[in-house]
Amino acid sequence: MEIQVSQVNSRVPVAVLKIIGELNADTSGQLDAEARKVYESGTRNLLLDLSDVPYISSYGIRTLSEIFNLLRAGSPDENDAALDKGLRNGSFKSGHLKLLNPTQQVRRVLNLAGVDMFLQSYDALDAAIASF
Amino acid sequence: MDENGEQRAGALRIAAELKNLSTIGRFVEDNARALGAGQECIADLIQAVDEAATNVILHGYHNTPGPLELEAGREGEQLVIILRDQAPPFDPTTAPPPDLTTPLHQRRMGGLGVHLMRALTDSLAYRARPGGGNELVMAKHC
Repeated sequence: MEIQVSQVNSRVPVAVLKIIGELNADTSGQLDAEARKVYESGTRNLLLDLSDVPYISSYGIRTLSEIFNLLRAGSPDENDAALDKGLRNGSFKSGHLKLLNPTQQVRRVLNLAGVDMFLQSYDALDAAIASF
Repeated sequence: MDENGEQRAGALRIAAELKNLSTIGRFVEDNARALGAGQECIADLIQAVDEAATNVILHGYHNTPGPLELEAGREGEQLVIILRDQAPPFDPTTAPPPDLTTPLHQRRMGGLGVHLMRALTDSLAYRARPGGGNELVMAKHC
């Protein structure tokens, strides 16, 4: 599995991680490491380009969950109270972790795992970047 | 294919290690395709077997060396993948259902692998092997 990292300076800095290959127990540690590197560099917005990811296993989803929580830390707009309120309204999606072009298989599994409600997906890079 | 509609495609014996998950995935893909499965079915089986193999590696063998055997075949309308190992008895089908509704920041992720295995296949059957080890049979209408 390969991860290509790029930075886009739009309204806010966004790190785009293009992942090539499956996200499973063997490879999800790489994504975790790259996400933490980005976070430690000061960037708080992450877009995962999943267009070349054939599937995300339960371990990949676990890593997405950990990145979701990492990016929430220090974001007052995503503290527990804001999250709970958003969930009660049925409206919470992470403002800091977003997905680009997940395949149909990946979308299906995110839905089966009950995590799609927290993560917004986009079909176009420009729209994804502009949404941060 | 024999008169009972059974067809054996392939077998793989491999070390149960995370680095071999990609080889296992290719085995499933190549054999499912050879057995006439469509792309969506193949994708589901690749992921289901990844989940099962990961369970063997991490929970069966606890990340220590051990063999994993896979067989792929067709029984009528069903694609059948069998996983066999020599790990201590571990029945993944008895894993508790995962938590899918708690907010993500509070959620425990246990049981998700088996949940996905069930969702992506039509049946899962476990048995403890008589000489030791485990056998998991997954089938999907393909």
